[in-house]
Amino acid sequence: MTLTLILEQTFNGLQAGVTLFLVAAGLTLILGIMDFVFLAHGAQVMIGAYAAAAITAASGNFYLGLLLAIPLTFASGYLLEFLIIRHLYGRDHMEQVLATFGLILFFNEAIRIGFGPAALFSDLPPSLTGFVQILPDTPYPAYRLGVILVGLACALGIHLFVSKTRVGAMVRAGANNPEMTAALGINIKILFRLIFAVGACLAGVAGMMLGPLTAVQPGMGEPLLILSLVVIIIGGIGSVRGAFIAAIIVGLVDTLGRVFLPAMLRLVVDQATADGAGPALASMLVYILMAVVLIFRPTGLFPAKG
Amino acid sequence: MATSVLELRNLCKSFGALTATKDLSFTVEPGEIHALIGPNGAGKTTLIQQIYGAVQPDSGQVLLNGREITALGVPERVRAGIGRSFQISNVLMDFTVLENGIIAEQARLGQSFGFLYPAFDDPDLIAGAQKILARVGLDDRANRRVGDLAHGERRMLELALALATAPNLLLLDEPMAGAGSEESQRMTNIIDQFRGQIAILLIEHDMDAVFRLADRITVLVEGASIATGTADDISNNDLVKTAYLGSE
Amino acid sequence: MRPVFSFARLTINGMRDNRLLWVLIAGFALFPIITHFADQPFWNDLAMRIMLLGMAAMGLNLVLGYGGMVSFGHAAFIGLGAYCVGISQFYGITNGWAHLVLSGMVCGLAGLVIGYLALRTSGIYFIMITLAFAQMLFFLFVSLEQFGGDDGMSLDRAEFGLIDLYDPLRLYFMIWCVLAFVGLALMFVVRSRFGVTLRAIKSNESRVEAMGLVPLRFKMTSYVISAVICGLAGVLFANWQEYVSPDIMHWTRSGELMIIIILGGLGTLAGPLLGAIVFLLLEEILPVLLGNIAPAYAENWMILFGPLLIMVVMFGRGGLIGLLDRWQMGRAADNDKRGA
Repeated sequence: MTLTLILEQTFNGLQAGVTLFLVAAGLTLILGIMDFVFLAHGAQVMIGAYAAAAITAASGNFYLGLLLAIPLTFASGYLLEFLIIRHLYGRDHMEQVLATFGLILFFNEAIRIGFGPAALFSDLPPSLTGFVQILPDTPYPAYRLGVILVGLACALGIHLFVSKTRVGAMVRAGANNPEMTAALGINIKILFRLIFAVGACLAGVAGMMLGPLTAVQPGMGEPLLILSLVVIIIGGIGSVRGAFIAAIIVGLVDTLGRVFLPAMLRLVVDQATADGAGPALASMLVYILMAVVLIFRPTGLFPAKG
Repeated sequence: MATSVLELRNLCKSFGALTATKDLSFTVEPGEIHALIGPNGAGKTTLIQQIYGAVQPDSGQVLLNGREITALGVPERVRAGIGRSFQISNVLMDFTVLENGIIAEQARLGQSFGFLYPAFDDPDLIAGAQKILARVGLDDRANRRVGDLAHGERRMLELALALATAPNLLLLDEPMAGAGSEESQRMTNIIDQFRGQIAILLIEHDMDAVFRLADRITVLVEGASIATGTADDISNNDLVKTAYLGSE
Repeated sequence: MRPVFSFARLTINGMRDNRLLWVLIAGFALFPIITHFADQPFWNDLAMRIMLLGMAAMGLNLVLGYGGMVSFGHAAFIGLGAYCVGISQFYGITNGWAHLVLSGMVCGLAGLVIGYLALRTSGIYFIMITLAFAQMLFFLFVSLEQFGGDDGMSLDRAEFGLIDLYDPLRLYFMIWCVLAFVGLALMFVVRSRFGVTLRAIKSNESRVEAMGLVPLRFKMTSYVISAVICGLAGVLFANWQEYVSPDIMHWTRSGELMIIIILGGLGTLAGPLLGAIVFLLLEEILPVLLGNIAPAYAENWMILFGPLLIMVVMFGRGGLIGLLDRWQMGRAADNDKRGA
């Protein structure tokens, strides 16, 4: 258990955390403002990843892939809201769940038809294949550091936007009290559509950046979706700040837990039990955390609705 | 001196910067009809919520028959003897009128956890439910779906369900809201019948009904009580006139 | 002229809904006779799958359709039931009755704990929390290497004393008996005082509070009952498949259950079983259909399913039973007009 390992895994946890934040930010706003259970958010991650991978493959340039994929995912979110989602506002939550479930099935299958069921491997951009010395003698993959920086930059950008701009104020008002916001005459329809599109965009960015780290395949977004739900439960529905803090916590707990819990268990119980129970417990750690938060704060740590 | 059915001691409630209830104290005596009037936004419904248990006061006490109930939740307070009718009809829309009564009746009898016998076919429950409905004259509407009822009939059902738990304190939150004059008359008559049997705290804007029914009236303005007394006291009270009845 | 057989008498509400349920269950009892004469015994397999799926859906329907709780985690209880069989056998317990009792206790306890944690919230929170807990259990079993982990574990059919489950007909009727039992139990529960109170809570929770009742107690009780029913389905499913893996409790399976219920008719007794029939038949038919129309895409028949589901949600009120109801009301109106 060296310092290098701990530092490396902490940074991995941060990287996982900011990625989760990008997915959770859009989702918490959609849940909080539009009261819409958008299960297909994971599909937005997938669409972003595929868009970037395809453009990168065609053009040979990773950054071009990112740049062009962003407006593409924005457009896909915008279209989706316009064509289907807006007809489902105000419906029973179960109906929203089922409809978005249908969307997941559709998107996964469509991707399978378009790109085949096998995983697409996208390579790291040549400029980021090296290592960076975060401390003397502690090399860390440059790409992952890049992901962390991009994620933090997005978080900062969102924070500034939500707290300093007029549109941001409308978003906050919408999260706090949707009915009142509509009654104030703010064009709710366009606001919703934009929130949806931006959320899709953020999720897409997460997918794009994850591409070189994991496999780009149908259904890649679902695990992230569920983990984001945990993040939102812990952070509080409708709260972007809550999503950020919770995402970092979840990212760290999950990553560090998986690496160190089995080892720590061996200190307390015998080898055999630790090896058996260790991984099991580590995989449940985040959910146990969620359960604990729920016992003391059923509406999360920073609920948007007062 | 008999114990008041309801006693409020120094009740305070604020929502952020808005003070809804300011150091409020008054009583409702056994068998009296006590009306609560005041301009919109005076905090009448918030007060009812605090008596009912849906909202917790910041400080102060609520006592029912001398027993402190401030810490109890809604179902416990209902079982302790509080009944409530809601300003916006809060009935079971997906059931018939009779079925509403049956569910209330089995709740009153504490029999809701039965698993074997069909509830809607039980002759005892049906009889009990019909008695509840007869009190407000809805027994001929027993098999109508509540969703199909006229607004006034729904208000009647609302009242019937409030009475169904056999309360000794009835909280009526604008029972005549939206009802036509004929229905208001009927409702006023029904409420009048209960004078002396059940203590009633009545919120109403319909001044005819208030002056006809109320034994005592408390006037609430901006969360504080500015006067309590009989109908005559109130209509002659200068403070009240300026604050509320002034325009008349 | 009076039709001899009328769907009106079978559809929604009280007595009529019951009749459709029992017609379907009777149908399943007679089915093996037909397949025997048609010499197509493998259809019994499909029928068993339908019965098991229908059973689990009936369990979920209690909380979803009658209780109004959108629980996305019920596949976890099916999985728990199935793993009760597997893990018991791992430790040498092969008695089927023991598996059933164990499953009842485990699923009951899990339902109690998850129910308690989740039911203090409502709306979107509730959905997400049940989903998260189901996923937690999924990951738990994936990481339990000693029980097969990701690959699952194969198992033997349990010993039920005189009943040899390796005889396909015996297994079929074992499943059928449990299905009938569950149907009977739910029929009683739904009409009972508990059941109508639960339905009242779905309709208007604050009104039920105003009657002096604590809604949480009813919701939790129904949650535990539904968990146990799903566990039962899981035990039988493990026996039928002779195999159990974490996939059985993946959250998408919970989605499937919900699809089945809404297809057949939410909050009706016969709906879940009807939905299971349609769902599994679609699963068989759609690939064939697509294979005939566009052979290159035969494998991707799922792509038809997504939009189909969206259409059902947006336009299909009350599922198939709602459809039957409206169709029958339309015919009755026509009859009235003709002065029949």
